[in-house]
Amino acid sequence: MLTVRGLHREFGGVHAVNGASFDVPPGRITGLIGPNGAGKSTVLNIIAGALRPSAGTVCYRGQGITGLASYKVARRGLIRTFQVSTEFAALTVMENLLVAAPAQRGEALWEAALGKRFWKANEWATVERARQLLARFGMSASEDEYAGNLSGGQKRLLELMRGLMADPALLLLDEPMAGVNPSLARRIEGHLEDLVGEGLTMLMVEHELAVVERLCDPVVVMAQGRVISQGTMADVRSDQEVLDAYLIG
Amino acid sequence: MSVAWQFYISTVLIYLGVDVIACWGLNLQFGVAGLVNFAYIVFQAAGAYTAAVLTLGPAKPARLGGFQEYVGGAHWPFPLPILAAGLVGGLLAAVVGGFAIRRLRSDYEAMVMLVVSLIATSVATNQVGLVNGPNGLALVPKPLASIVSLSPIGYQWLFTGITAAACLCVYWLVHVVTSSPLGRTLRAVRDNETAAAALGKNVTGLRMLAFVLGGVLAGISGAVLVEFISAWSPGSWLYPETFVYFTAVIVGGSGNNLGVTVGALLVPVAFLEATRFVPQFGPPGLIGALQWIIVGVLALVFLWFWPRGVIPERRRRFPAAAQAGTRRPLIRIGGGR
Repeated sequence: MLTVRGLHREFGGVHAVNGASFDVPPGRITGLIGPNGAGKSTVLNIIAGALRPSAGTVCYRGQGITGLASYKVARRGLIRTFQVSTEFAALTVMENLLVAAPAQRGEALWEAALGKRFWKANEWATVERARQLLARFGMSASEDEYAGNLSGGQKRLLELMRGLMADPALLLLDEPMAGVNPSLARRIEGHLEDLVGEGLTMLMVEHELAVVERLCDPVVVMAQGRVISQGTMADVRSDQEVLDAYLIG
Repeated sequence: MSVAWQFYISTVLIYLGVDVIACWGLNLQFGVAGLVNFAYIVFQAAGAYTAAVLTLGPAKPARLGGFQEYVGGAHWPFPLPILAAGLVGGLLAAVVGGFAIRRLRSDYEAMVMLVVSLIATSVATNQVGLVNGPNGLALVPKPLASIVSLSPIGYQWLFTGITAAACLCVYWLVHVVTSSPLGRTLRAVRDNETAAAALGKNVTGLRMLAFVLGGVLAGISGAVLVEFISAWSPGSWLYPETFVYFTAVIVGGSGNNLGVTVGALLVPVAFLEATRFVPQFGPPGLIGALQWIIVGVLALVFLWFWPRGVIPERRRRFPAAAQAGTRRPLIRIGGGR
């Protein structure tokens, strides 16, 4: 579904990504792991269009998306979440979800000028869908709350829900369980399991190896900007280079 | 009511209308889209000069009794000069935004805008042939004055009506933008550009749209004002004037059209008008200087203690039962537009 080949990115002489290549198969969660500074988030940023690579290519469904602006990447169905929550703080939870819905009527100036009658029906369908999502994630009570007032864990859930509202074909998750309590982490894990069961493809950067082991297949291991191993978790666990660079290093 | 009072009240109402239009435009840029445009007054000036030269007619040479130099003079009938002023305000915003908004972060944007403001005043002052330099333009004919035969006070009220009509048209525009999904998306861009882009929003395009719309409204406000006061010079649009509008938006409630209307009433109209009635004290010019200081302090106090203003941006709630719409699958996979 997604093919990354020979990706390079330097920051002032530092090789953050140094020739990374891997594939993301459809209908599964591909785990991207590695020690701090391995280049995982940089790879995710390049795929999502937030950074341009110095060299290398990213192909999605056979089409090159290398260097496309992030909003163009998102419009192709590659939706990312962030390591640090990026809620629209002065908007309510419901509005955060509505913003994410693609191709909304009334979002262009000429559509807005046609008045509420033109976009109201579409808006209500989107509200209905957002409410179903809120119910599924147990956040219905927070619908009218400002997103900036949510707890850290609720913000992580909102980030995930917002990504789902955007009709993703491939969800790029950057440490979706970072900074949440174990109970909520388990809930998020459950949601991800359900989503992959429904056929959603995901690429997930994650530090918690137990979670990666339960959710991800295949797993891509990075160290010092390179992909040093990929395969099932059992495969990478038995790879000496991985053991040296990451698991015991 | 005496004629003097009617003159006073209608003049205050016209100034209020001009300030409300200007504040709505700034609110679209700053309150809704998060653009810090310290050059806002330049767009108002561009509209004012445009309307003035398109009303004055071609400039006469000095040997024929002309006393002011300017480019592009014409005798356009009302309301075309006002519409042209909006267009010029929008075009200028597109040009300025093209280099300031497309490539720079918000703090640098603000610096660029301040510099644009200083450059524009300097150019208008020193390039005398452009819009008559430091003396500015004067004797701009009043709209419809040659067609309608009204008493001076009758014309005052006619112009009050024209200003009210301009306000209604502008309100329609700001309302359809801010109350629609477009307004919500602009507010999302204001809150977090990176996240908005990651959800497929063309952040630069949206910010440019808000900037240009704000420029159009600034131009219209300048045009209405110059058609009323019949004169415009660089002294009318020095960069501190922008901060009066910023203070009005902050005090009234950034992001809320009603709040901004109240802000326009409180700061540029009520507060500055009230100081007319303060008895003269201290050296000449002291009261004027204190006005600026108080406007600045007012902005700081509100930013510190009431950052959301007198009437804060309202929380959008959606009624419990969706009224219409077909149900779509909850998780839609394989999207892309």
